[in-house]
Amino acid sequence: MEQYIGLHFIDVIIIFVYMAGSLLLGVYCTRFVGSAEDFFIAGKALPFWAIGFSIVTSDIGATDLVAVGGAAYKHGVSAANFDWMGSMPAMVIAAFVFVPYFWRSGVFTIPEFLGRRYNTAVQFINGLIWAVVLFFMLAIMQWLSADKLMGTVLGWNPYLTLWITAGITGIYTFSGGLTAVVFTDVVQLIVMYVGGFGLLALSLWEVGGWSALQEKILAMGPQYKDHFTLLLPHDTTGPFPWTGIVFGLGLVMAVAYMSGNQVIVQRTLGARSEWDAKGGMLFGGLLKAFIPLMVALPGLCAIILVPQLGAENADRAVPEMIRLLMPAGLRGLMFAALFAAMMSHISATLNSTTTIFITDIIGQLRNWFGKAPLAEKTALGMGRVITAALIISTALLAEPIANREQIYVFMQTILSLFQGPLLAILLLGIVWRRATGYGGLAGLVLGVAFCFVLKYTPGLFPSEEPFLFVAWWSFVFALIVTVVVSLLTKPEPEEKLRGMVWSSVVLDEDAQEALKERVAP
Amino acid sequence: MEEIFQSVCKTVFYPVLSPLFTPIDHALRLLPDGAASVCGVGLFVTAMAWVGLFLNKDYVNRGRPYKSIWTDLRLWTVISMTPHVIVYFYFR
Repeated sequence: MEQYIGLHFIDVIIIFVYMAGSLLLGVYCTRFVGSAEDFFIAGKALPFWAIGFSIVTSDIGATDLVAVGGAAYKHGVSAANFDWMGSMPAMVIAAFVFVPYFWRSGVFTIPEFLGRRYNTAVQFINGLIWAVVLFFMLAIMQWLSADKLMGTVLGWNPYLTLWITAGITGIYTFSGGLTAVVFTDVVQLIVMYVGGFGLLALSLWEVGGWSALQEKILAMGPQYKDHFTLLLPHDTTGPFPWTGIVFGLGLVMAVAYMSGNQVIVQRTLGARSEWDAKGGMLFGGLLKAFIPLMVALPGLCAIILVPQLGAENADRAVPEMIRLLMPAGLRGLMFAALFAAMMSHISATLNSTTTIFITDIIGQLRNWFGKAPLAEKTALGMGRVITAALIISTALLAEPIANREQIYVFMQTILSLFQGPLLAILLLGIVWRRATGYGGLAGLVLGVAFCFVLKYTPGLFPSEEPFLFVAWWSFVFALIVTVVVSLLTKPEPEEKLRGMVWSSVVLDEDAQEALKERVAP
Repeated sequence: MEEIFQSVCKTVFYPVLSPLFTPIDHALRLLPDGAASVCGVGLFVTAMAWVGLFLNKDYVNRGRPYKSIWTDLRLWTVISMTPHVIVYFYFR
């Protein structure tokens, strides 16, 4: 097997034209940025289709595309659960329970919403957790894409790749804010789809079609018998037992991710209407359903076409299929698609991290020290300075932070360590008027502590990587803690709750208006 | 550091948590094979039914640009979830 995939001159030209085009489009969007609202939430002018496209590209990075193909090679179609079970039901819940609240209340971030519902301590802690996690993710995704993907697959110098992509994404995110991020995302998803479906068509053609693929894989031995089963038994040795997938992923991690992750929700906050915000979520769910077809199925085809890879090199399945099947030109387009995924993921995370820094950390610290909120122009300027500082510092720290074994699993685990408690307080804050500030704070802090206990106590769960079970049980635990502490503390005043509780807002026009009129405490 | 924390958790928390989680684990192992598909497909169908049948129609479509069946988000929910139901039924 060749170590590097060679690119034709025309492929390199396609990749560079694509990157230059993204930069120009992003910089062009600068003309739409005149205020902090324009920079952070695109001036509340985004249509549903742009939101849908942007949600998908913000969620899917280049390393995810390669990893899903590799997981399909290793574990079969169950790898697709993260884009199916782990998306659509959660996006429906997000669209009709959480998004209308966030959009109507005019907040910039989820921690800011939690601050209004509970108290400023909850806002600050939640903002700090997200800022730290997103900072590390930014560094890790830059290094993984530059080194593990472009370096090991194409043989390109990882430092050069890292600084070129950091420079391009940094410049257009710095200049055009969320508008630039979203509109480059639209182009990037189209490029990803063209490249991905091209690879799917060629892969299926090469193995002789879907029926032939199934027959050939199942004939390879008993170790492949579950490769065409989505929901695997509870006691499976693999990482995706059905109980973890349905309860941990479908009901907790995915809902927390789609409703509480700033990178995803920020697009809906920039919607031009509540209908566009909800419709963008649903449209994004539909678009996301096609992602496994583009990468998981070529990963399955690789079992037939490159069987010599073996489980230990499964992550090379998609790059090997590109090398094997795609002619010059199309190969360049497919790598442009991988660059697209990488850049959109970085720019989305960058913009959201900046928003959290400005709103929930600096804004809250100023509030506690008795200083006036940042003026519009100052917030915009500071947002740009933080964007530049973040992209430079994460690029500089990318290698020392990310260059270690099992870093990807480590990050997924870190994410699972607070999503359960976050969902519990978010959900109770919206559906239960008796939830109090102290209850929310206790639920968040003790819930995260409980996650660490579950993660580090061996032998509690059948799976070797029990992050799905950790997410589910920490959600249940945080729910109980929030309820108990809330019942033991003084109820919130009626005025504070006006327009913030779901049952009243769904039925009562006055309560709906109250939510719009609310200002930060 | 990680090893020390793990050892503390094993000593302090395992005796408390294991009696809670082990019976649940055993009960889940006893569930029939079909339970996975029923729960998986059920999640999609329940979400569709919730939006289509139980949520207030005005709440679902608040802010729609014009009244047409194509802008009804209840229809969008069904259209975007049905392929998932088919896929989970096919790969059961």
